[in-house]
Amino acid sequence: MGVVRVERLAKSFGKVVAVDGVSFEIAEREFFSLLGPSGCGKTTTLRCVAGLETADAGTIEIAGRPVYRADAGLDVPPNERDIGMVFQSYAVWPHMTVFDNIAYPLRIRKIPQAGIAGRVAHVLRILGMTGLEERRPSQLSGGQQQRVALGRALALAPSVLLLDEPLSNLDAKLREQMRAELKLIQRETGLPILYVTHDQTEALAMSDRIAVMCEGRIHHLAPPEEIYRRPATAFVLDFIGSVNYLPCRLAGADDSSVTLLWREEAAITLPRPPHLPPGPDVLLAARPESWRFAAGSAGLPGTVVLRSFHGAGFEYRVRLGETEIRVMTPNDVRVSEGEAVRIVVSEGLLLEPDALSRPEARAA
Amino acid sequence: MTAGQRALPARAALGVAPAWQRAVTDHRHILFAVLSVFVFITVVYPLLQVAGRSVIVDGALSLANYAQVFALRRNWIAVWNSVWVSLVATVLATAIGVVSAFLVQRTDIPAKTLFRVLLVAPFAIPPLFSAMGWVQLAGPVGLLSQAWQGITGEFEVPWNIYGASGVVFVLAVTKYPFVFITVASALQRMDPSLEEAARTAGVPTWRIMRDITLPLVRPAVSSGALLAFVASIDNFGIPAVLGMRAQFYVLTTRIYEALTIPNMPLATAMSMLLVALAIVSMIGLRRAEGGADKYAVIAGKAVTPAVLKLGSWRPAVVIGLALAVLLITVLPLFALVLTSITTFWGADLVWANLTLEHYVSALTIPAARRGILNSLFLAAAAGVILVLTTSLISYLTVKARYRAASWLDIAGIVPFALPGSVIGVAMILAWSNPPIGPTLYGTIWILLIAYIMRYMAFGLQTTRATLQQIHVSLEEAALTSGAGRLRVLKDITLPLLRPGMVAAWVLIFISAFNELTVSVLIWTTGAETIGVWIFIMQDSGFSGRASALAVLTLPVILVLYLLMQWLTRLEERRAGRSKG
Ligand SMILES: Nc1ncnc2c1ncn2[C@@H]1O[C@H](COP(=O)(O)OP(=O)(O)OP(=O)(O)O)[C@@H](O)[C@H]1O
Ligand SMILES: [Mg+2]
Repeated sequence: MGVVRVERLAKSFGKVVAVDGVSFEIAEREFFSLLGPSGCGKTTTLRCVAGLETADAGTIEIAGRPVYRADAGLDVPPNERDIGMVFQSYAVWPHMTVFDNIAYPLRIRKIPQAGIAGRVAHVLRILGMTGLEERRPSQLSGGQQQRVALGRALALAPSVLLLDEPLSNLDAKLREQMRAELKLIQRETGLPILYVTHDQTEALAMSDRIAVMCEGRIHHLAPPEEIYRRPATAFVLDFIGSVNYLPCRLAGADDSSVTLLWREEAAITLPRPPHLPPGPDVLLAARPESWRFAAGSAGLPGTVVLRSFHGAGFEYRVRLGETEIRVMTPNDVRVSEGEAVRIVVSEGLLLEPDALSRPEARAA
Repeated sequence: MTAGQRALPARAALGVAPAWQRAVTDHRHILFAVLSVFVFITVVYPLLQVAGRSVIVDGALSLANYAQVFALRRNWIAVWNSVWVSLVATVLATAIGVVSAFLVQRTDIPAKTLFRVLLVAPFAIPPLFSAMGWVQLAGPVGLLSQAWQGITGEFEVPWNIYGASGVVFVLAVTKYPFVFITVASALQRMDPSLEEAARTAGVPTWRIMRDITLPLVRPAVSSGALLAFVASIDNFGIPAVLGMRAQFYVLTTRIYEALTIPNMPLATAMSMLLVALAIVSMIGLRRAEGGADKYAVIAGKAVTPAVLKLGSWRPAVVIGLALAVLLITVLPLFALVLTSITTFWGADLVWANLTLEHYVSALTIPAARRGILNSLFLAAAAGVILVLTTSLISYLTVKARYRAASWLDIAGIVPFALPGSVIGVAMILAWSNPPIGPTLYGTIWILLIAYIMRYMAFGLQTTRATLQQIHVSLEEAALTSGAGRLRVLKDITLPLLRPGMVAAWVLIFISAFNELTVSVLIWTTGAETIGVWIFIMQDSGFSGRASALAVLTLPVILVLYLLMQWLTRLEERRAGRSKG
């Protein structure tokens, strides 16, 4: 059974519908992310779970106990929900030392002094901050303040940890480091995490499951790989990773493959995608790493207009008629700008031609 | 340590009170009701009294009181004098304020902190003291007059401290800190990239200052100037000491005169004229501040902008500034001290003429002793009451998001725009024969209410600004840590608000301790204040005793002023660090 259960949650601010019927369930020890662009309602969902915001409709249960039920007028205040929360701004109390910050939730629960000292020492050890107990937040770096905020949320071993873009104020290097640490800390403590972010790399790297949100709704809820490989809607496809679109005509399909025609001439054969649009006109959507350069006369003819180095490989922009296709290649493949090339694609999804203007259009 | 292990106390799943029941027990409603009564008694009711009584004659609506104001030439002249004297003083104050702010903030003069402290000091010194100091410096047998006579050998000095010119001059040298403070802080917070853009284009520094910097701080200049104007219109001590003797009256002194007769209807109608003047100035102030927003060049961060190198001008500028500070801030106080320890005003400075007799005789007067104690008590009490109530009002508006509470905020700010004489008249009207409750006129409680009304805005503004800086997530973090609302208030909000409360208390204490304009209208025997008693002694010719009393109060003011400076410095440093 889920540690957190959210059902048909809805919340509006005046005319703005922030959350529009969201349901999900977080399992024990699970790292669960809400991912989506700015303003899609992630924070509002999280704050409803925390009790900092009162939803308009739906149910929320934490550790098997209902904390919010619109139909019964139940709304347990945040301090009685048994949660730990980390804010984007850290919200470390400037007038308390590191020790006092982390000890605060324990003191509120009237845990004996000796127990508090031991518990805080344990948390500081997990966070690698032993020795900084008496520092004030103003004497800490951003990354250290972040850890204090995390430690405060962990201290009581709550039913669930709620994190709202906790890493977005850190620089790129530190963010990557904290990502790994957060994962390790979760493994050590075994706490389930509800994580809010707009950074897909972060969500893909850390989560057990991701709910991708758009305009207050969950479009796709699945493990990261499935979200990447088989995005449920055009919005998810477009939002996660990068993707090339090529208008084609569906020439034929059997159980295992489809054949497409580009400009009525060049033929493309692909493994059959999970979803086939009804009409003959389709939009082929394929990731840059699904494309590669072809030798000989196979594939689609184009011209390389730009080459950029990405460390692990090169990205080429290949002009194909009116469209441009991005092709990712390993380091050993070298093509120069201006060169005429042929490219082939190994897998992709098929959308209806107008799918890009309809975020909810089916993709897989 | 998995989620299920820690059992939570069983709770009745649906045990939440219905909305109506929660509404009654919601602490915000009770708080709001109590505060509403408080603001109504201290602010709204007295104001309604002035406005109402000015248009009611013998129980009927009438403009007779206003007609009476304009029937007398004396009154016309007082209105006109108030306007032109304040205008000219403001122009002078603006010039002093802008130039000194610029020198201290943006040039390479030495000892900037010392200059800054000395330049802002007149802000804390009661204007009455300055007026007395200037009489003793530039009056008929004053130090400067004697020096002039000694140097030129002529008996006549080319100035007259009594009358319009003296009032204008002393107003200017006591009100310029308003301009200095606003302009200096605008100069400090200005986005340096605006100047750097010009610098990279090869524009010389002095032209950047003239073409970029000065135009950009113009909104700050005008809001500082308007504050100086309002404070000049409001002032009583300076025109009372320097003007009345020369039969030069402004509105505040004319109201004082009308109340000594007493002619209550006349005073009431004249108060309304002052209100009109204040409203016009306040509209101007809003405009000026709106302009500041429009430019939006003031970044909220402390930066170290470029400094203009004065080069070979530096010694001359520094000496000039030092002399000006000496003349404006130091000499009047020095004259006060001197007068307080010499046998008679203008006596030669020899050992035989030095005495402590003024201190002794001033302190043997029971009323003076009472005045000192009353002022200490009233200033401290007004500070405590205001800090507590305005913190609660700000808490309701900022943190509890209690919509209706904004009327408290607005009503509490209004008296800030009102000249003190209006507040004095309002107090007399409201508390001489109130429909319910005791007659407070004749007790010190009327002074307490008057100070509360007059300085409510200080408390509101300081506590609101501090509360707004306490990010809501700090409180939410405590909520999600398991603390209830009251616990959050006690552990998080209050400790973070405390520096703001202390700052507000100090500001209110200094202002109330120095208060004269209102006090002089509503004091009675037994309910004297130190300022009133100093004024009375000065007015009746005992300038030695008046100076002695003034000198006695200076250490209190000085200590609190330095405390205030230290607090703001602390606050700035903390703000700077939490940004970095
Ligand atoms: N207190 C509020 N009052 C009014 N509107 C709000 C409030 N909080 C959120 N909204 C609106 O609700 C919508 C969802 O906001 P929310 O903060 O949940 O987005 P988000 O997904 O967290 O975005 P971001 O990534 O920018 O933090 C937005 O349109 C936002 O403007
Ligand atoms: Mg958000």
